[in-house]
Amino acid sequence: MKLLNWTQRFSRRGFLSGSAATIAAVTATGGNVLAQEFTTPQPGSLKSEEVRTLVVFARDLFPHDRLDDSFYERAVKPLEAEAAKDGYTRQSLAFGIEWLNGTATRMAGAPYAEVTDEQKRVAVVTRLREDQSAPARFFDKIYSTTIVSLYNQPEVWPKFGYEGPSSNKGGYINRGFNDLDWL
Amino acid sequence: MPAKFDLNDSSVVVIIGSGAGGGTLANELAQKGVSSVVLEAGKRIEITDFQNDEDAMFGLFTWLDPRTTSGSWYVAKTSPDLPAWICKLVGGTTVHWGACALRFQEHEFKVRTRYGAIAGANLLDWPIDLKEMDPYYDRAELKMGVTGTHGIPRLPVSNHGKVLFAGAKKMGYTQFMTTNMAINSVPRDGRASCQQTGFCVQGCTFGAKWSTLYTEIPKAEATGKTEVRPESQVLHIEHDKSGKVTGVVYADRTGAMQRQKARVVAVAGNAIESPRLLLNSSSSMFPQGLANSSGQVGKNYMRHMTSTVFAIFDKPVHMYRGTAQSGIVMDEARLDTKRGFVGGYQMELLPQGLPSFAQNIVPNAWGRDRASIVDSYVNIAGVWLIGEDLPRDTNRITLHPSRKDQYGLPIPNVHSDDHPNDLAMQKHAFAQADALYKSIGAKRTVHHEAFPSTHNMGTCRMSEKPQDGVVNRWGQSHDVKNLFVSDGSQFASSGGENPTLTIVALAIRQAEHISGQMAKGAV
Repeated sequence: MKLLNWTQRFSRRGFLSGSAATIAAVTATGGNVLAQEFTTPQPGSLKSEEVRTLVVFARDLFPHDRLDDSFYERAVKPLEAEAAKDGYTRQSLAFGIEWLNGTATRMAGAPYAEVTDEQKRVAVVTRLREDQSAPARFFDKIYSTTIVSLYNQPEVWPKFGYEGPSSNKGGYINRGFNDLDWL
Repeated sequence: MPAKFDLNDSSVVVIIGSGAGGGTLANELAQKGVSSVVLEAGKRIEITDFQNDEDAMFGLFTWLDPRTTSGSWYVAKTSPDLPAWICKLVGGTTVHWGACALRFQEHEFKVRTRYGAIAGANLLDWPIDLKEMDPYYDRAELKMGVTGTHGIPRLPVSNHGKVLFAGAKKMGYTQFMTTNMAINSVPRDGRASCQQTGFCVQGCTFGAKWSTLYTEIPKAEATGKTEVRPESQVLHIEHDKSGKVTGVVYADRTGAMQRQKARVVAVAGNAIESPRLLLNSSSSMFPQGLANSSGQVGKNYMRHMTSTVFAIFDKPVHMYRGTAQSGIVMDEARLDTKRGFVGGYQMELLPQGLPSFAQNIVPNAWGRDRASIVDSYVNIAGVWLIGEDLPRDTNRITLHPSRKDQYGLPIPNVHSDDHPNDLAMQKHAFAQADALYKSIGAKRTVHHEAFPSTHNMGTCRMSEKPQDGVVNRWGQSHDVKNLFVSDGSQFASSGGENPTLTIVALAIRQAEHISGQMAKGAV
């Protein structure tokens, strides 16, 4: 199993700058001739069905029944924003989504987001992790970005019972830091 | 008023780094009338810049300059370019530290004698012992306001602590309490008392936690003897023909190179950057790197056996409420080789906010099983198992053969392989923590092998004999008399305790030595 980088998981900033630079560097190593032959991919908005695929995929990575889709829609916003600015991101996301849809169609008879059986979508994600020819960077990208952008939403915190910033309320000294009574 | 020294003023002590070692040394010297220039690679921020935001403060505080890793350790797999979670700003890692302030135990200063020769380890006794350190520990505790010492009341027990202590009691443990913490339990030294915010690691917004950022450094500046230059990263230490250091070259905030002359140089950049700087300061006279005739610079890197157990209960714990790390079980810190390993470990509270917890639990896993852990967040308790790891020749900081930093200097590689003793201790600690939590009804426990290292030690170690280490009993280079190491790099063993109190005590002691040597004209 491939392992992700702790910095990238923790710091979205680090991930975004790092990934774009890496792709650009890989392209650059092709030399001048190659660089001239390939047109730079155009940045642009993701299509609504592409966004939908990412939303379903993000939920399958971090499935919380207590969270409705709006939280996952917000979690993929940074990906949409990056695709709108950076053609390489736009291209790699589109490629990954295509892979998901193609694999889901072969394995479950429908594009990824339209497969209603969660277990069948899980099988597609498992294939994405295990198949050496699958776009591993796509998984890393979605995982690293949404694990931050999902759980960093202050609106998500109360759903898990987390109360967030406390200094502005005077800490917990008078708000239950020692109220546990079941032991 | 902060002092302002000329770059050509060769009478000053140059201190590289402003954390527990460097910040303390600057103030201790200043109180004795000794002038210093503190060169800090990171920015200067203030308490008002702290936010209760885990992700934002990680970005603001952390040393994120490129580093690489190698070896069998878990961190090389999960965090290959961030081996250590330490800070780059004025105040250094004391800005985010948890503030557990524990003394080393007597035997931990004499590991070679007490543990004997252990294959695959490079054990060495410290040239000093606990008896010699005790008065400096006293002064460090008084300076930092450590609870549970010198009549300073302990902090109250949080929910998270109640869970740990109930389990400890069931296990038959007897040494559990709110930890000796460098966090004010009552207003002290012009700083407020702890308000139980839970955001110790994101910078204490009330200033209740000791950090050199708002204690030692402003106190040093107030003497008029200390100048702190933030965003000044030292690249090279220079020496003359006699082999004495004469100053340092650093990049200032604009990236321009500056040369600050010095009478004495003290290196306190943490156990990765300090040896890196010495290795990067090689010259024709010192081809292996400065202060490295022994070849020991960078070797014996220690980072503690550091693992975490999270336990899921069916009732609320709210681990994020209250002083983060104030709760400890010390029973396993003893030396008792019947357990199958030398050294011991502490069990310390380790809460995390929801974002950090959800991002870091079960690295790289996805799906229902992982999500079910996060779903239980409010019912989770966590304990950090930190114990002595053994020094090894091969666990070391080296200069990367090809990768360079923004200044064109080789970046550090951090190599570590777990010693069998470390793994035996880890196995024991996981089993004890599991049993502790299950004894009071935990439904499930989740193990986390290691976060990026917050305790980094040993890479310029103290030794009686010059061939065994880098510095002497005062942290003074065996090779270069006016060069000192003032951080956890000096440690000859890692102990089973958080290192900061020992770093501070050593800095207090070192300041006496440096000022004495300067007065005598010996340096």
